[in-house]
Amino acid sequence: MSGPKLNLRVRSIEPLSPLLKRFELEMADGGEVPPFGPGAHLRFNLQGDHQRWKNAYSLVTPPTERRRYAVIVRRVEHSRGGSAFMHETVKPGQILEASVPANLFPVSQIARKHLLISGGIGITPFLSYLAAFKSKAAGYELHHFCRAKEAEIFGHLLRDHESSRIHIHAGTEFNLSSVLSSQPLGTHLYTCGPEGLMDLVLDTARTHGWPASKLHSESFGSAHMGGAPFIAILKRSGAEIAVREDQTLLEAIEEAGFEPTNLCRGGACGECLTRVLEGEPEHRDHYLDEGERASNCSIMICVSRAKTNRIVLDL
Amino acid sequence: MLVSGIVSRPKYEPFALDPSGRSHLIVADHPAPPGDFGPTPASNAPIEIWCVCTNPRTTAEASQNGRAVSRSFRSTAHLLDQLDKRLARELVGLRIYAVGIESFVWDVARLARKFGMEKGEYRLTHKGSERRRVYCIHCRAYTEDVTTNIVSCSGCGASLLVRDHYSRRLAAFMGVQVDAEVPGDVPAIEEAFP
Repeated sequence: MSGPKLNLRVRSIEPLSPLLKRFELEMADGGEVPPFGPGAHLRFNLQGDHQRWKNAYSLVTPPTERRRYAVIVRRVEHSRGGSAFMHETVKPGQILEASVPANLFPVSQIARKHLLISGGIGITPFLSYLAAFKSKAAGYELHHFCRAKEAEIFGHLLRDHESSRIHIHAGTEFNLSSVLSSQPLGTHLYTCGPEGLMDLVLDTARTHGWPASKLHSESFGSAHMGGAPFIAILKRSGAEIAVREDQTLLEAIEEAGFEPTNLCRGGACGECLTRVLEGEPEHRDHYLDEGERASNCSIMICVSRAKTNRIVLDL
Repeated sequence: MLVSGIVSRPKYEPFALDPSGRSHLIVADHPAPPGDFGPTPASNAPIEIWCVCTNPRTTAEASQNGRAVSRSFRSTAHLLDQLDKRLARELVGLRIYAVGIESFVWDVARLARKFGMEKGEYRLTHKGSERRRVYCIHCRAYTEDVTTNIVSCSGCGASLLVRDHYSRRLAAFMGVQVDAEVPGDVPAIEEAFP
């Protein structure tokens, strides 16, 4: 992880549901938190007894709030343990290390209207959006999809915003095509949630003539996890690293003590682009175009793996 | 003179419909806009053609393609005024194509951007005269239909050298007083933009 680190003290932990907890954090030195824009996230360096996790969570506080940050963490079953660590081990008063906020999902400054479509915990980046829209009186429309038993919790999170613009769909009929084919010129579309939902939203938008410049999405990267084990060789140091089936290539490299440049850890930003010297990558990112993928010359080490048993990287 | 090496000058695409659009609006500053739509766009995507016909008798010629609905206007000002009203109620999925002289196509681009359209949602094709709209950097007046390398500003009367420096925001070329250093020293005026 690059960039300066923040030491944040957990101020309070509020359970929102059996699976959701809201963490309030303040600077350990008592100062103001660094500013951020709507859609930004914090990446935590979580240190367990035997394991480290680098988990990113969207900031849900209004961007104007400088006394504290807040994030909402969903406890993910069958995950690699970062969210369970946040839920079970982290206690009020504890100091957590995080990167300064980064934003890979900013709000368009030229949009005339914002259409937000989220699923489940994918609502979190939109909580800071809504706070920003409120102060600018920008036009927006939010459609949130969730399980019936969680509709009330999400309704509560959204209670401070105009109810006429907010639609919570918990198993009810919804015509995505009619929403995407009836938006005024100048509308930008943002989607965050499970991969299946985002793919459906973006594909439907494209068939209704939405240009790429108006489509924005942020994935959690959970779909990229896991795969067959392989060996990565770092050419510059000669290190030979075994990548296990339950970890990413980047995590295995970090576990071996290296710190390659990276940012989003979700295959979106392009920071961790690495040259492939031998072997064939299994591309799982959203960054490389088709030609770059086919050339097998580059790999986004945060999400992609190897098709071959062995891959040699220019690292 | 003063016009070499400006690489920011806009370049234009040949006219072709964008098959990803869900409706298409072609606007032209002349009576006979392109009838060849290129690769066939989505079969149910409506196509509309707006053109400027100063002679109403030629209106019928605009309907060259059975799929397109056409509409003619008395002047570019009339067309742009109606376009402003139209875009205010248009939806995402529209593609707009401007065909004509540079000042016209960039007036269309400016309207499109005003309503939140971005590159990729509007396409500009230069057709017809090279004549230029010139913006006086001294008094900020516009001088239309300039065909010469040096022109007298419609606002302040200064002799303006017409540069290749184009402002997409102002939809005009920059005009700079040519005899600012030595008053009265104005080079020969030549036809430059036929």
